[in-house]
Amino acid sequence: MSYLPCGTYFEAYQADQKWWRTGFIKGKMILMVILLILFPYMVDQQWLSVAYTINYYILAALGVQLLIGYCGQITLGHAAFVAVGGYCSAMMVLFVPWPQFIVDAGLAYPISIICAGFAAGLWSVLFGLPSARVKGFYLIMTTMAAQWITVPLVITQYVSQIGGRGQSFSLPPGTIKIGPWEIDSDVKIYYFSVILVGICLVVMGNLLRSKLGRAWIAIRDNDIAAETMGVNIVGYKLLAFFTAGFFAGIAGAFYISALFFVSPEHYEWFYSLLWVGIILIGGVGSIQGIVFGSAFVVLIFKVLELSVLGASDILMTSYPELGWITTKLIFFKESAFGLAIIFFLIYEPNGLAYRYWQLKNYFNLWPFSYTGK
Amino acid sequence: MELFLQLIITGVMLGSIFALVALGWVLIYKCSGVLNLAMGELTLIGGYVCLGLYQRFVTFMPETSAFLVALFGTMIVGLMLGLLTERIFLRKMIGEPILAVIMVTVGLSFFFKGMVFIVWDTDTQVFLPRVFSIDPIEIAGIAIGQVYLWSFIAALILMVIFVCFFKYTRWGLSMQACADDEMAALSLGVSAKFVYALAWAIAFMAAGVGGTLLGNINGLNYSVSMLGLLVLPVVVFGGLNSVPGAIVGGITIGVLQNLTGGYLDYYFPGGIKEIAPFVFMVVFLLFKPYGLWGWERIERV
Repeated sequence: MSYLPCGTYFEAYQADQKWWRTGFIKGKMILMVILLILFPYMVDQQWLSVAYTINYYILAALGVQLLIGYCGQITLGHAAFVAVGGYCSAMMVLFVPWPQFIVDAGLAYPISIICAGFAAGLWSVLFGLPSARVKGFYLIMTTMAAQWITVPLVITQYVSQIGGRGQSFSLPPGTIKIGPWEIDSDVKIYYFSVILVGICLVVMGNLLRSKLGRAWIAIRDNDIAAETMGVNIVGYKLLAFFTAGFFAGIAGAFYISALFFVSPEHYEWFYSLLWVGIILIGGVGSIQGIVFGSAFVVLIFKVLELSVLGASDILMTSYPELGWITTKLIFFKESAFGLAIIFFLIYEPNGLAYRYWQLKNYFNLWPFSYTGK
Repeated sequence: MELFLQLIITGVMLGSIFALVALGWVLIYKCSGVLNLAMGELTLIGGYVCLGLYQRFVTFMPETSAFLVALFGTMIVGLMLGLLTERIFLRKMIGEPILAVIMVTVGLSFFFKGMVFIVWDTDTQVFLPRVFSIDPIEIAGIAIGQVYLWSFIAALILMVIFVCFFKYTRWGLSMQACADDEMAALSLGVSAKFVYALAWAIAFMAAGVGGTLLGNINGLNYSVSMLGLLVLPVVVFGGLNSVPGAIVGGITIGVLQNLTGGYLDYYFPGGIKEIAPFVFMVVFLLFKPYGLWGWERIERV
């Protein structure tokens, strides 16, 4: 929360706690909404897919941010819950014998999104149970175990065998629709993702302003002090796990609309780590941080991909005998990403959200900044 | 019964390799409080370095001595890599929040993984010509692969060396002091930076030898790094900051893995062997939150 410009006063508590407190902020948000609506008409298709990948990462990292940034429970197995959401939604769309009027109304997919949220939330609570007794590294290990148990064992060995379709479920065209609105093109996926992200961010922001959010933050800051203050820490920790799992389930359910199939490869341990990396890059304990972190990570991947492709094209045309290098360039991408995370953490430990906050402050206080710099 | 004994004995021998890698992990955690998630990749690097050296040496040496020299070379390379890694990446993270340090080790694991694939490719590579003969040795009616036996012996020797180093040398004592009470150690003239560097170097060495031995058993490919990740249940089981815990945990997890592989693989469609240690660990943590010999943290407001 930045400082307000001089001369802005509030006379009621409600006014002070509003989402958008000044006209300038309202204007900024309206401008952002207009930009988001016009975005598909300004770029070509590949950047559209980049945009909805960013939105998917935002949805997935929301739960991680809630657990790590607001409740202090470190998790390294979030991809498991996204996987549960994705598989639950896909299987409901495919295998549940929906009554004809629901299919006609196009409600199967929306219902499955909610159910995916609940399924992932409950699955997450199951692995959050040890958090009643352990914390720190031991909790990291149990969430890692959630990843190993869910994805390589339960999903790969059991769930993906259902229906005898092999490893991955593909969703026939026309099954993913919300009401009359059939999601079949990149533009529609993009709009759908923007709407979902908007709803989820607002829900998350409001949760954090409520009693729940204050309890979570108290647990993060000092759980023993919170317990002595009368916060039921086990209950609130489990609730945090449930909410995080719920967001993860929604993320998983969204992503099947983008890919039209689910497969265990989309939920590897790498993604769990990536989402933790996202919130660290964006800034721990900040909702804006999720957006910044997701955008940064996806864009850096895209830039690395483009440069690797460009480099291999140049190599192939001018030095065909060096073709073996091009296969190695793919692994170079992964290495470079690892280095990017490391140097980000070393040189920018507070994350991008902190830089943004500094920038805003600079303009708010200009020309009378008292930082002395 | 014979199968049971065989599984147990092979498990103990496999577990000794896990224990060796876990020992390096515990050293880092004890001395500097860093949780190292890059351990799997460290074992992978060690295995590949040893393979490369072995293939170089075996052209002009008998196999056994070539392997020993290569193992020694791996330790030297590991020592240097460990010092370098600590110097470049970890030293700047002293005093940062724990999550950031963990993520740096995760970044390191991505970096190392990519580098390993760039340098050595993704195909499975084996130690050729074989270092250990393929015929099993029969002890009291139980057949034991020679690879397992020699790995067990090598891991045992190295563990004894590490524990002796810890107990009886000046450097080892300063590491112990640092682990016990960092402030007191610093005020008595122990250089924390030196201790951290030493811990990383030893962890790289231990992981390298562990990776070599694991690679000898099944061939070297990316799955060796998954075996390297198994040190995490091992150290959780034994207690994070306990050296005997690492050894006992390693052997327990090795036996557990072999037993599930031998008996349960028949009933499950597959993969239960890799998951069993993690399942076991979650259940175990519910009853003993600090492992067998971990320090129980007493917290006050």
